Amino acid sequence: MESESQQRIYSTKLVEALRHVRQNSLPTSKSPSGREIRHAADRVLAVAAKGRTRWSRAILASRLSLRLANSRKHRKAKPGKVTGCSRLKRPEKKRSLPAVQKKVKVLGRLVPGCRKVSFPNLLEEATDYIAALEMQVRAMMRSPSSSPVRRSIGSAPALTCKALA
Amino acid sequence: MTVLERQRARAKWQQQEQQSYFGGSEFGGLFLEPSQAVQGNFQGLVGGVDSVLGEVAAVLVKPDLSLESGLPEFGRFELSNMGFGSDALINGSTTGFHINSPTSMTSGCPPTVAAVAPEERGKVSVPAEKKSSVAGRESFKKRKADKVQNTKVGAEEDTKDKKSKVSAEEGESKITTEQTSTKNNSSATNNRETSADTSKENSKASEVQKPDYIHVRARRGQATDSHSLAERVRREKISERMKYLQDLVPGCNKITGKAGMLDEIINYVQSLQRQVEFLSMKLAAVNPRLDFNIEDFFSKELFPACSTGFPTTGMSSEMTNPAYLQFNPVQQLVSCCGLEMGMNTPDMAFRRTMSAPLSLPETYLDTSYITQLQPSSTWDADLQNLLNLEFHQGRSTSYASQQLTGSIEASNLKMEI
Repeated sequence: MESESQQRIYSTKLVEALRHVRQNSLPTSKSPSGREIRHAADRVLAVAAKGRTRWSRAILASRLSLRLANSRKHRKAKPGKVTGCSRLKRPEKKRSLPAVQKKVKVLGRLVPGCRKVSFPNLLEEATDYIAALEMQVRAMMRSPSSSPVRRSIGSAPALTCKALA
Repeated sequence: MTVLERQRARAKWQQQEQQSYFGGSEFGGLFLEPSQAVQGNFQGLVGGVDSVLGEVAAVLVKPDLSLESGLPEFGRFELSNMGFGSDALINGSTTGFHINSPTSMTSGCPPTVAAVAPEERGKVSVPAEKKSSVAGRESFKKRKADKVQNTKVGAEEDTKDKKSKVSAEEGESKITTEQTSTKNNSSATNNRETSADTSKENSKASEVQKPDYIHVRARRGQATDSHSLAERVRREKISERMKYLQDLVPGCNKITGKAGMLDEIINYVQSLQRQVEFLSMKLAAVNPRLDFNIEDFFSKELFPACSTGFPTTGMSSEMTNPAYLQFNPVQQLVSCCGLEMGMNTPDMAFRRTMSAPLSLPETYLDTSYITQLQPSSTWDADLQNLLNLEFHQGRSTSYASQQLTGSIEASNLKMEI
């Protein structure tokens, strides 16, 4: 599904996007948070999908609306919902007993924009999404990174020697 | 017979689309007009021949060129599906009949039509393959043979009796079937079934098209209830997609059953997402580095190290082999010049953020494909040599080195936490 050329295309786009993010954040002289980078990477991924998949459209759509507003709304919504009153009222109700159904729901939540998608379509979206995520991970690994944990590596060789021996 | 006519009408539409597609201006323009006009026009073209024949011959000449191509078939079929309107249907059905007629006359016919008609039949069977993929092509040839026989049998009756009536019925059924037919079909069953369809429906002329939109027919020894048919189609769709997922997600080969598979898939997606988060945090920490020498880093630095971590997951193993050996010497240069500068504060920041996702370390130990993250980012010269030794000893030891790096990771984190 993800060919080598696609990987390269994505990688170059990712680098550009990251550079863009840094340029945007440099004026304020703060390093971009991980979340911003992640969103940028997701966006590039969605663009690379060329709008043929639902999750990519969902990612792009959510970027258009205010991200912060969304995240705040979600955060506020969650504690409000999970007070448990609804659950107390119906303690014994077995909602969707088949384990498959539960897992389908979980999967639907994981793949962006696929909460109410039918099962076969959800599988298809998940296939595409997994392939895209793999590509994203590969690209981000290749991307330049420094040695953030370099300090601890000073002691690491001792451990590595132990492990080797 | 009705199915055949339907298919012929479809072919007709395909031809129309193609003609506009290929810029066959005269034909395309003509086809959009009502059928009588079409016939009239073609009379001029094939002077002396029956208008019907003339139209058919002219029609069939053009599509010869275009229908030989493989893939556009499906696209064309889609177009023809969309293109069905009520007036178009009448057009199609009547012309469908005209296409039928030469088949009855193939025995004693002008050579052009005779030569063209079998090809036309072949093309007609092409659209019937509509929703199937490559597998459809193989049965395509079988169906050609079927069609040849069937059409000859059925054609005589058709052209003679109840032309208009059948066309009217057919028109309505076409509307229902074509416009509502979904594009998702299990290809194998469809092939078998539609071929069985046509042969059977030829013999039973009275059997009208099923209200089925997906042309599914019960296989031998299976329930013929429409509900179970629909369910079977649905199940096959699902199982097909599960198979794709099984290929994608590592370690799913041994697991059978939807629930287990779904578990694995969910875990995998979650781990991938976590990986992305982690990497993005790491990239955020790299901030000042990124501005210079991006392309150098990008292409050279971490490629081999990352790649050697991947073979177990099969992600990029094909990329590792050629790239690996060349890049090794480069790595040392890059690491020395790039990383010797003090990155203390980002280190601290990074490690604090590292300790935040506490659940990560365990998964890093478990999931081999992520443990090599640490060595990739920590190219101290000594460590690098050590790891290179490990890697050089062969792929089989790469897993050991991953566990090694996993232990490094764990030890780092333990020092933090």
